[in-house]
Amino acid sequence: MPLAMVAASAATRPHYGGTLRIEIRQAVQAPEAVGVTAGFVITNWDPGLRAVFSADDNAPGGRPFLDSIDIEMARPLRDQSVDLELGKTDLVELGPNELRRQAAGRRVWSSSPVRLMALVFGPRVDDTHVREALALTLDRAALNVLLQRQGEISGALLPQWLSGYAFLFGAEANIAKARALVGELPAAARSLSLAVDDPSMRALADRITLNARDGGLTVTVVAANSNPDVRLAEARIGSSDPARALAGIAAALGLGEPPKADTAEALYAAERALLEGFRVIPLFHLPDVYGVSPRVKGGPGITPLGEWRFENLWVEDRP
Amino acid sequence: MTFRTRLLLIFTVAVAAAVGLVELVVSSRTREAFEGVEARRVDAIVAQFDREFKRRGAEIVRIVEGIAASAAARDIAIGPDPSLYVDQAGAIAGTHALDLLELVAGDGTIVSSAEWPARFGYKEDWLTAEPDWKSRGAFLKREEVPEGVTLALVAVGTAVYGDRKLYIAGGQKLDREFISSLVLPEGMRVLLYRNLNPQFAPSELIDAAGPAERAALLRPLIEQVESGRRQAIQTVGSGATAETFHALPLTGYENNMLGVLLIGSARRDLVELEAAMLRTAIFVASTGILMGIVMSWWATARITRPVQRLAESAGSVAAGNWGTTVEAATTDEIGQLARAFNRMTHELVDQRERLVQAERVAAWRELARRLAHELKNPLFPLQITVENMQRARESYPDQFDEVFREGTATLLAELANLKQIIARFSDFAKMPAPEMQAVNLTGLAGETLKLFEAQLAQARISLVTQLDPQLRPVAADPEQMTGVLRNLILNAIDAMPQGGTLTVRTAALGNSARLEVSDTGQGLTPEECERLFTPYYTTKTHGTGLGLAIVQSVVSDHKGRISVLSEKGKGTTFRIDLGS
Repeated sequence: MPLAMVAASAATRPHYGGTLRIEIRQAVQAPEAVGVTAGFVITNWDPGLRAVFSADDNAPGGRPFLDSIDIEMARPLRDQSVDLELGKTDLVELGPNELRRQAAGRRVWSSSPVRLMALVFGPRVDDTHVREALALTLDRAALNVLLQRQGEISGALLPQWLSGYAFLFGAEANIAKARALVGELPAAARSLSLAVDDPSMRALADRITLNARDGGLTVTVVAANSNPDVRLAEARIGSSDPARALAGIAAALGLGEPPKADTAEALYAAERALLEGFRVIPLFHLPDVYGVSPRVKGGPGITPLGEWRFENLWVEDRP
Repeated sequence: MTFRTRLLLIFTVAVAAAVGLVELVVSSRTREAFEGVEARRVDAIVAQFDREFKRRGAEIVRIVEGIAASAAARDIAIGPDPSLYVDQAGAIAGTHALDLLELVAGDGTIVSSAEWPARFGYKEDWLTAEPDWKSRGAFLKREEVPEGVTLALVAVGTAVYGDRKLYIAGGQKLDREFISSLVLPEGMRVLLYRNLNPQFAPSELIDAAGPAERAALLRPLIEQVESGRRQAIQTVGSGATAETFHALPLTGYENNMLGVLLIGSARRDLVELEAAMLRTAIFVASTGILMGIVMSWWATARITRPVQRLAESAGSVAAGNWGTTVEAATTDEIGQLARAFNRMTHELVDQRERLVQAERVAAWRELARRLAHELKNPLFPLQITVENMQRARESYPDQFDEVFREGTATLLAELANLKQIIARFSDFAKMPAPEMQAVNLTGLAGETLKLFEAQLAQARISLVTQLDPQLRPVAADPEQMTGVLRNLILNAIDAMPQGGTLTVRTAALGNSARLEVSDTGQGLTPEECERLFTPYYTTKTHGTGLGLAIVQSVVSDHKGRISVLSEKGKGTTFRIDLGS
């Protein structure tokens, strides 16, 4: 075996030791909410700022390769991306803007589309026509461009990969119909305020404003804490069981609890019932996307549902 | 109004008018000069605006063409997926200091928009409508931004690679930063109205500091420029806060009205200068008027004192002091006037004396003639009677006694006649002074007329009385006035031998009282009327001709006036006016 080939083979072989450095945007307040999987125990906890997990020598599945995981919290996405470029961290979250800026060849881990992005109306907007008109103005394809086409366009609460029937929920814009609906509305009802939970999604809100204007509605983007008429919100798929996932999403978005559904038809009916009044307008299902340093080996470190699995990773430091 | 007052008024008005005229002329010239300076300053600012506009336009064209020639534009133009470049415009615009930048595909679809990132995918058809943007240069354009609309100086460049084309529309907002780059002289400001809304929007009127104050005041001017599409001038406000605005239209590449440039020039300096001039004029006018009063007092004192003395002397002459003279110390017109006055009064005295002498001579002649005539009439019978008596004694002694008796009777009768004539003349000569007391002419006329009732009836004369019962008493001698009235009534009776109508009237005449006696006799000629009051003149076959002379004498002694109105064939009216 040539020497070069031996060296390459040695470089990819798992080995113990090293610290996996992670940066996340969220400021987590409880260690168990961080999401580090089995094989590690918390050894240092600074709420909302930093958490250090160390390898558990007595883990049921055996000791992880990594010695520790150092998690820095409350890091903006842009800073995370810069730190990854500078080699200061090994694993970062990637938003659409950061994804676009990633250097060619950068390793990226993606989950299945597990985050539902949707417009959620507040109780003040009680006219179904207003909600429907806004739903009909939305150009999801254009909105998806702002997400670097990472999103899966959807008119359903559950993603296609989980329910299998998401394509049945229409997601096309119909400006003419929207205008017709708006034309029947009193002038005061044609104005809506829109808040965005995630400031990085402000561009989406601006585009929604434009779409709404095409349909005759005036949408104004306001601060998230200003009791808006409608919010651009995210809800996470918490289970691989469609029924439980639907119930979780409904709860997260403030919808009523869906009836128990044992069959796909019943689940479909339950989901349609939830969406019937346009109280929630699904837009996309988005994956969790992480940028990964070249020194991280093994993996991928996330499951299709976006859960971390770091016990089989190791790191290599190259000169 | 006295001459002095009039002169003072003329002086004052003349001074005030002169000062006002000077103030008017100076103000007018000052205003013209200010407006001339203002017009030149406005021209300079307009030229500066044009230069800045062109400079910025050229800069934007240069930037846009640089972007069009860049590798980034090439990548976007030929890239397979435009969505990859959705945020490129913002980055490029930031690099090149552009407020606005849109990267637009050859079909007019926005690839990326700096001013409104969410607008990607929308169409910009105006870009594809123009075949050659390069020759267009920079132009004004109304641009939509998330906050609304804005006015921008825009240039368009194109990047063409094979069948791929990319439009680069970049520009800078025409905002207060642009206005603040203009260098303005003191007292001037530049405002920009961005005609971005269908209706006038005060918030779109900006100056270097932001939204302009008092925007609503400029609305008529802006709307005038927008409708007329040509320059207009208007002054807004009043007093020291007034400003004159020159408004110029700003048009876009399709010759649409996109804005109005307003160059304001404060009128504070002019107003303050005019106020200062007005204060000066008021001071000068006040001083002038004061001086005018003093000078007019002095001048009138010099001019009117001799005139006043002349007036007093004239009054004295009118009062009967015909020999009054005035001092004629100066050689000017007033002195000449005084000398002429003195000559006039001297002549008046001379002529009066000559007239009196002539009248006296004439009166004596008339008296002598009348006396001779009156005396001759009785003397002739006396002579005949005496001659008859002499002839009878010589020729007819037997009849002498009878002739003597008849002759002495005739002599005595004629002597009595002579005595009567002499008594009348004596009465005329001895006319007593009236004893004045309050006399009611109406009552006096009524009582006197009662005495003539029988005589009037015998003469077939009807009596008409028009006596004013409200007539106020006048100062008169009742006996003399009764004689006057009696004389006039007798004259009237004599004038109507065939009968007629006698009319007696009394009436108030201001503070005077009037008494009229009219007959319907043959009337008098004007010549007769003139001589009627001359002593010893009579139109009757009997009488001494002293009656009306006595009447006139009595009226004259009462400071009254008697006149006669007569028309031949229609009768005569004697009118007496007596003072109160």
